[in-house]
Amino acid sequence: MKPAWQAMPPAAPERSRRVSVSRRAGLGVLLGLALFSLLGPWLLDVDPTRQVLADSLRAPDGSHLLGTDVLGRDVLARLMHAARLSFGLALLAAITAAVPGVLLGIAASWRGAGVERALVMLSDVVLSVPGLLLVLLFAALVPGRGEALYVGLSLSLWVEYFRVARAASRAVLASDAVQASRLLGFGPGHVLRWHLLPALAPVTGTLLAFSAAQAVLALAALGFVGVGLQPPTPELGLMMTEYLPHYEEAPWLIGAPVALLMLLVLGMLLLAGDAEGA
Amino acid sequence: MKPTTLSHSPWLRLLLRRLFQLVALALLVGTVCFFMARALPGDMATRIAAGRYGYDLVSNAAADAVRAELGLDRPVGLALLHWWGDIARFHLGVSLVTGAAVWAEIAHALGRTLLLSAVALAIGAGLGLPLGIWSGLHAGGWVDRVVLVMAVALRALPSFLLAVLLMVGVAVRLGALPVAGGDAAGSVLLPALTLGLGLAAGLARVTRGALHEVARSPSYEFARTKGLSDRQALVHHGLRQAAVPVVTYLGLQAVFLIEGALVVETLFAWPGIGHELVHAVFGRDVPMIQGAALCMGLLFVLFNLGVDAICLALDPRRRAGGAR
Amino acid sequence: MDDHIDHIDHIAPIVPTAAGPVTRRAALGLSLAAAGAAVLAPPPSRAQAARAPLRIVGPWEIAGLAPASSGHVFTRLQIAETLMDAHDDGTPLPGLAARWRVSDDGLAWRFELRPGARFHDGTAVTADAVARCLRAARTPPALLSQAPIVAIEPDDGAGIVTIRLATPHDGLPSLLAHSSTLVLAPSSYAADGGVRAIVGSGPYRAVVVEPPQRVATVVFEGWDGPRPAIERVEYLCASRPETRALMAESGQADLAYGLDPVSLARLRRRGRVRIAAVTLPRTVIVKVNAGLKQLADVRVRRALSLSIDRAGIARALLRDPDLAATQLFPPTLAGWHYPALAPLTHDPAAAARLLTEAGWHAGADGLLDPNGQPLRLALRTFVDRPELPVIATALQAQWREAGIAVRVAIGNSGDVPIGHRDGSLQLALAARNYATVPDPTGTLAQDFGPKGGDWGAMGWHDDGLTRALDELRRGRPTPERAAVLRERVAAALQEGLPVIPVAWYRQQVALGDRIDGVSLDPLERSYRLTRMRWRA
Repeated sequence: MKPAWQAMPPAAPERSRRVSVSRRAGLGVLLGLALFSLLGPWLLDVDPTRQVLADSLRAPDGSHLLGTDVLGRDVLARLMHAARLSFGLALLAAITAAVPGVLLGIAASWRGAGVERALVMLSDVVLSVPGLLLVLLFAALVPGRGEALYVGLSLSLWVEYFRVARAASRAVLASDAVQASRLLGFGPGHVLRWHLLPALAPVTGTLLAFSAAQAVLALAALGFVGVGLQPPTPELGLMMTEYLPHYEEAPWLIGAPVALLMLLVLGMLLLAGDAEGA
Repeated sequence: MKPTTLSHSPWLRLLLRRLFQLVALALLVGTVCFFMARALPGDMATRIAAGRYGYDLVSNAAADAVRAELGLDRPVGLALLHWWGDIARFHLGVSLVTGAAVWAEIAHALGRTLLLSAVALAIGAGLGLPLGIWSGLHAGGWVDRVVLVMAVALRALPSFLLAVLLMVGVAVRLGALPVAGGDAAGSVLLPALTLGLGLAAGLARVTRGALHEVARSPSYEFARTKGLSDRQALVHHGLRQAAVPVVTYLGLQAVFLIEGALVVETLFAWPGIGHELVHAVFGRDVPMIQGAALCMGLLFVLFNLGVDAICLALDPRRRAGGAR
Repeated sequence: MDDHIDHIDHIAPIVPTAAGPVTRRAALGLSLAAAGAAVLAPPPSRAQAARAPLRIVGPWEIAGLAPASSGHVFTRLQIAETLMDAHDDGTPLPGLAARWRVSDDGLAWRFELRPGARFHDGTAVTADAVARCLRAARTPPALLSQAPIVAIEPDDGAGIVTIRLATPHDGLPSLLAHSSTLVLAPSSYAADGGVRAIVGSGPYRAVVVEPPQRVATVVFEGWDGPRPAIERVEYLCASRPETRALMAESGQADLAYGLDPVSLARLRRRGRVRIAAVTLPRTVIVKVNAGLKQLADVRVRRALSLSIDRAGIARALLRDPDLAATQLFPPTLAGWHYPALAPLTHDPAAAARLLTEAGWHAGADGLLDPNGQPLRLALRTFVDRPELPVIATALQAQWREAGIAVRVAIGNSGDVPIGHRDGSLQLALAARNYATVPDPTGTLAQDFGPKGGDWGAMGWHDDGLTRALDELRRGRPTPERAAVLRERVAAALQEGLPVIPVAWYRQQVALGDRIDGVSLDPLERSYRLTRMRWRA
């Protein structure tokens, strides 16, 4: 039996410098996006719903930095407003899914036995109902309200967090470090804060990044079949659907929201520390 | 290893658990579908008429005819009891819009979606696993970085854009494959590629993470100190350990694959079940909604059964009744 | 490190079965290769000498086999026939009925069936079979329910079907040209009366019917007319216009219907496919609830119409400036389009004047009535036609500039009739086909009758209009009198604006280079396959 101190997971101080570079890059990207979506509309001061049909599909130029769409609306202004709405709602959906999912996962592996079985059964049943169906039914229940769609999405997203949290926390709870803490008399709060959350943070962060992107893309897919927010509200996923037909004559139109979403995913991935090296 | 009695056999427990899940699922889906469809705004009879006859002919007269035909004025409690009875007897009923048997329509559509998902899974695994394994073992290398960039790009790209780009590039410019439709030879490849690329991206990342952990784990080190070469250590120890999280991830993704196929099916005119489900929800075609949901749920349960069985086979610790 | 010790114990069993993982992986690889070969390998090739079938791709789904819901699919592919046919301008032509006669009092119509007509199962087309189909077609929404039919009397021996009416109805031949009245063989019906197979009498017979997507046909050997040059035809439903355009461009489809303006522009730029066009008797309209107190004043409705920039919408959204509507009926409905009528224009200043006259004054952000209530309306539309939501967004912005706040609700096409019935509808954007049956009178009577119609007037009626439509349907007027009556109808609609026309439609079809002799049917009743031939 090896000595307990050798059993502790490597704190890996030598990784921190390399990690912090990519973490900082991720933070920078996310801050840039936040500024873009929060301050941008105020700085640009262009009405995103103002149409000038004569200016339909202008290429990017001095007066319209990203050109205009088919109704002559300024794309940059629409993008900024859409970013604010969509990123906010996507993160809301992701966090609404993550918090209960992670907590339930920890609870399941902590308590074990009956509680765990019941929770696993619940998650399995929820997951077997097609998420698409849930969201569509939600959308049909409250037509025209985007928030309902995102709530429906988080109902199908939380299971992923639950499973991952349960698997990861089981390993942590069985580790010697936690046993040592318990022997020393620290309570559940301490274990949660100092052992579980740091272990779960990277993988949950990665999942959050993907969930946020998934939420926006799910809205785009729903817009594809004709469900979604009502005009003229700009929304990132719906913008992608609207600009798809112009992929050849005006590729910058669909390029803009897609690039924005890519930046979001990249920033969140970097921040979650997924890009670390050996 | 302690011998296990039949009542504690992990295989039996697995089977029972999934069976129970199936029954609970059927009840839940059936009831939810019933109430949701009734609670949905918009008159059901008119929606069904719009689905049957189209926007040129739908009118109040048509809606009245539909209402009378389907007996939509019956009280709720009675209808629910009838509903449960039908489910118990596996009577999935008849589509309110087309009049064809729900079972037949769903079986046909589901078969097509399964084919598409299977090929997409093969493409995704064929691309994602090797890339993930390589970047996991050589973390920080240029393959790792390229895979990260591709993963980000593919995860943030909407599938309809990828589909159109593939259509334009492969089908139109190169003329190598048919653009759309379900019957021409090779017509499954473009839609499967669209789905598979997204899957490959996520799978590559997860595999990378799992193998990265394995490569750093003491048991791998131990295998190397025993004298096994890198490749032998990987094959006999590493892959098995890494396989469990990867297979679990695939299990989850397969569900998303079937649902994500909706956009791809619509664009490529692939007659699958996602398309059917959307039409059914819009048209308030409740038997179809329920039938599709039940079938997809059944599929999911069966698939999970398979995944669990594989995990049980891969991980001896589970068989021994250890930490489960 | 208990886990690892356990793990070490389990390493031993693995090594002796070293063959295990290898064979497992080999098995996986083999099955993947087999699957790959299976999907990549071409199907057993048909005789290369036979040409590939003519492929048509369109947006129309095959919703089951009932004539009322998918009859149009089978009549367009010329699998089944209707009693009557129609010219491009709507005048009746013989279909399954070679000759027809009406009695002097207009209450009895005799249709003589074509003697050589046979169904695809070999049986002759009998009056009984025809009568059975017509009786089934009398339930709504089949349009035959519009005619005051008392009895349908088949005379099997003479091959004559007599239809007795309660009152004269001039539009009966038009109604009998609608696809819901198509004629199927008795063997098409199952015991419970539902249709289980499509056995028609047209020049092509159905080989494969796979709802909702695919129909494949082959020439019917027993067809009593000249044999068509095209042997086999396939129809595929693809719901996205981008897909249809790409199929045309890559040559996978010989005829692509339902193309959107953007794809058309792209196809024209590429120059690889030809584009044929025909204007359809379909108009984008805004249905107005004239019963609402805000919209009851005709000046408000006229102001709504004057605020619409139709030329801008036609140019930017429909990519065709000629489609800006000047009145309800497009030029192709020659009998109903009157160039002399004062056209609908875009005049925001005049609109503002009219609104002020009607009692609205400009407030902080919109128009207010004398009590300070803002002018707020809700516009319903649906996605089945992709251009409608975009046009709705454009209209919303144009009306906002006039001070009218409009909320757009995109839903299902069924929401419009429901809203009409329960009175909750305020504005609705739709694409109304005025030649659902070749003669528009029936549709107009449905829409603009005394009580209005699901897709027509709401809370508005005009006695002169009602009388004119009545006389056209039952009065059996002379051609000159009919022209006068039609002009009266058109003028009344232009004045009262119970529905506000926005734009007309053009059907644009991409043609592959394998075929010739394509002619488009403005009434959308047939693909006219029998007139087509292969290019040498």
